[in-house]
Amino acid sequence: MRYVYPFSAIVGQEEMKKGLLLNAINPRLSGILIRGEKGTAKSTAVRALAALLPEIEVVADCPFSCDPEDVTTMCVRCRQRREAGEELPRQRRKMRVVELPVSATEDRVVGTLDIERAIKKGEKHFEPGILAQANRGILYVDEVNLLDDHVVDVLLDSAAMGVNTVEREGVSFTHPASFILVGTMNPEEGELRPQLLDRFGLCVNIAGVTDPELRVEIIKRRAAFEENPQEFIRKWEKEEEKLRQQIVTAKELLPRVEISEEILYLIAKIAIEMGVDGHRADLVMMKAAKTMAALAGRTQVTEEDVKESANLALLHRMRRKPFQEMEMDHEKLQVIMGGAHAHRRN
Amino acid sequence: MSERVVYPFTAIVGQEKMKKALILNIINPRLGGVLIRGEKGTCKSTAVRALAALLPEIEVVAGCPFNCDPDDRVRLCPSCRQQLTANGKLPRARRRVPVVDLPVSATEDRVVGCLDFEYALRYGKPRFEPGILARANRGILYIDEVNLLDDHLVDVLLDAAATGVNIVEREGISYAHPAEFSLVGTMNPEEGELRPQLLDRFGLCVQVEGVEDPRQRVEIMRRREAFDADPLGFISRWAKAESELARQIAVARSLLTRVIIPERLMRLAVDLAMEALVAGHRAEVVLVAAARTLAAFAGRGEVAADDVLEAAELVLIHRARQAPPPPQQLEEDQEEPPKEGEEVEEKAQTREEETQHVPPEHKEPQEVEGKEGSSGKEELNERSSFPGAPQETVFAVGRPFAVRRIALRRDRILRKGSGRRSRTKTASRCGRYVRSTMHRQNNDLAFDATLRAAAPYQVHREKNGLAVAIEPSDIREKVREKRIGNFLLFVVDASGSMGAQQRMVETKGAILSLLLDAYQKRDKIGMIAFRGHSAEVLLPPTNSVEMGHRLLKELPTGGRTPLSAGLLKAYEVAKTHLRKDPHISPLIILVSDGRANVSMGEDKPLAEALRVAELIRDEERIKSIVVDVEKEGFFAFGLARRLAFALGADYYKIDDLKAEALVQAVREIIP
Repeated sequence: MRYVYPFSAIVGQEEMKKGLLLNAINPRLSGILIRGEKGTAKSTAVRALAALLPEIEVVADCPFSCDPEDVTTMCVRCRQRREAGEELPRQRRKMRVVELPVSATEDRVVGTLDIERAIKKGEKHFEPGILAQANRGILYVDEVNLLDDHVVDVLLDSAAMGVNTVEREGVSFTHPASFILVGTMNPEEGELRPQLLDRFGLCVNIAGVTDPELRVEIIKRRAAFEENPQEFIRKWEKEEEKLRQQIVTAKELLPRVEISEEILYLIAKIAIEMGVDGHRADLVMMKAAKTMAALAGRTQVTEEDVKESANLALLHRMRRKPFQEMEMDHEKLQVIMGGAHAHRRN
Repeated sequence: MSERVVYPFTAIVGQEKMKKALILNIINPRLGGVLIRGEKGTCKSTAVRALAALLPEIEVVAGCPFNCDPDDRVRLCPSCRQQLTANGKLPRARRRVPVVDLPVSATEDRVVGCLDFEYALRYGKPRFEPGILARANRGILYIDEVNLLDDHLVDVLLDAAATGVNIVEREGISYAHPAEFSLVGTMNPEEGELRPQLLDRFGLCVQVEGVEDPRQRVEIMRRREAFDADPLGFISRWAKAESELARQIAVARSLLTRVIIPERLMRLAVDLAMEALVAGHRAEVVLVAAARTLAAFAGRGEVAADDVLEAAELVLIHRARQAPPPPQQLEEDQEEPPKEGEEVEEKAQTREEETQHVPPEHKEPQEVEGKEGSSGKEELNERSSFPGAPQETVFAVGRPFAVRRIALRRDRILRKGSGRRSRTKTASRCGRYVRSTMHRQNNDLAFDATLRAAAPYQVHREKNGLAVAIEPSDIREKVREKRIGNFLLFVVDASGSMGAQQRMVETKGAILSLLLDAYQKRDKIGMIAFRGHSAEVLLPPTNSVEMGHRLLKELPTGGRTPLSAGLLKAYEVAKTHLRKDPHISPLIILVSDGRANVSMGEDKPLAEALRVAELIRDEERIKSIVVDVEKEGFFAFGLARRLAFALGADYYKIDDLKAEALVQAVREIIP
């Protein structure tokens, strides 16, 4: 097994870490895009997140990791078994992080005909692909902007529906494929298409740490990890456990988090005045703010939560002219929020 | 089909027009479907999926994969017809109108249907296995992101949609079955436009936008949250509204055949269609049908004028065309006949000075971004204090327009890479599987085709314990095809003559349009500018179209015209790129008026430029386009045209580049 650098040992990059944690707590945030130059711990953080992910209950022998409790999202086979009165075998396991390599072919992604079975037994059998594995887990795409266009189209299609519909090579099959899309990219190598961009719930821009002291700390930790990874991981285990516990607590708290009328109006106001396309931004901001409150152990969403989630949810949704740089207008956000404040006092 | 849990249709906040269009289409399937265009995150897909719950039941032949109508003897499938002649009647069943998903990753064989190899393996007989078009017969064919659909699938769809019959002639099967469906598609125009023929197939079209009212936005959030928290509870709370709407639809359906439309309103429909300059007659036919459906939905037996007007919004939006532009006025200040290229250049420069120093006389035709314009002028003033310094201005970028299709001709070379411009056979395995071949070269085995090839002989073959015996002669390989981006190399004339009459503003607008087009087609781009005495590579080959735009904005204009240097530089860059990637043909786009007046060597500038042009023409892998920016008039030189001839390039005026909505279908091929 490869050693994974502990999440809690990552220096700085607080926004990215927060974004990832929020997704681990609330899968409905539908993912995060991490944009930044090379060597800024993007991939390290995503891989490290896997160790922190909570456990989920799955149907033990289902290739799509169906939830035995939730009929609404089950695959056809699980549903049939349930309807036939069968007790579905259960299993608890960690949420998966499935990596989608940039070189992946469409076949591998959507799944394809099981050739062996076809030749030996003369029957058509669908062999699930990466999307099947990723159901109820995290689909991680490193260098997502370099992904082949066809694969991007397929991703868009199933990300939109939460379902992968396969109609290829004599197979016709549908299975659930709702996943948290986590992507990293280096904007120098080209931007992402807006449509795919919008599918990521949150987005962060990260840059290298500039504080010399922190930089030294990064080098020190990295060296310690490389020298003796086992020891390093052991040393950080306590921190990791703490974070893990925090996630579990937040997950439990989340359904009880309440959001006031005022806050909802604030969110709508931000979305309108910041000029974002569509309604996904509102929904994501609301969910992120709730999750943010849960992470902090609160059951009430505060304005601060909204502000933080606006930063994460709006960056990639700002309506920009075709070639504009992707930037967040913090001042404007401040004004909008301030305005809402003043309005309320009156 | 087991029902998925979907957000209820009636719980969708706002978007009344989209909802109306979808409902009309259920009431009257002959309207021919709906195209929903709109920005992302405006519940396009949610609405379509929610629609399934509202669909009425229809009478079908029990067990027929094509949902044949037992009462419609004309359009029966072959097996139903057989059954009818044998038994004299058909078994009946009732089922919901089917909604069939067509995923963008579908292969052609699944769409049209194919050989059932399972059956063939077991019984040694070929049998037709119905595909998506079969399932969609008498139902709705739903394509999410329809503009991303591959062209060859679009062809198949158009064919079936036009005739109502799906004819299969492949893999040794010959079959025809009814395939009448209404298309429902969603698309985000940012991702590229639809082909006009496909566009015309959609009876109705709606443009959706986000809701602006904060109260509604809050309501959207609240409902979505409630649905996510408890989907089944949410659905049951909306069940009453849903069944009420379903009832209303059922009533409208039965009323529809009895709705009449007065003669004068038919005239109104025709007038509206003509006013919108639509092509063909489909528009008014659909318009009248939609108006009648609207009346039926409102429970009226006669169409009112408002129905026609409301229907027009849905029917004409995607069919309306722009009026042809009025003939251009002759530029008045071009009265003196210049004689040779160099003089023209000087003349142009003096005129440019005039425009610069007496700005109020010349109103800038395009929106000029003030900041840049002024900084350009400051720079100009600063520089003009040095005697002999070249004068330069930074012109703003003109308004971009839609670009007609520019693609390279298809050939037999296998290529890697991706993009959306030119179609090519591809060597990578991620292209569309267009067909199989017996020709072995790629080891990309088409197992299904192989099995199909072997299947009919299995009964007679020695099995050796396997279920299937495959012989080398059965083996088939996949032939794949995909679109790839091209490498577009812009060669931009930034000399003083381009500054005359704000010509550069328009030119930059044209280049921007080409850049936007390049973005949608995922092209690689590069940019070279020439002015003064040399040419410069502003942008080495990159995928970042953004960079190209930034440079374009900052590109100053002024000085003489070293056309040959620019062309030579382009040749070098293209050659280097070819060495790296021999299969991607670079496309040089020369944007100039062709008035060369600086040479690198002893030759006359124009003669030299023509010589370099021939050099480029002789390298067959490099293609080129000349965009002539010279204004039409009595004294145009047509130098760019001569240059285009020498380059073996296609020649365009800026106006030729503009796509006119429906005429765009003619694919432009570069020789």
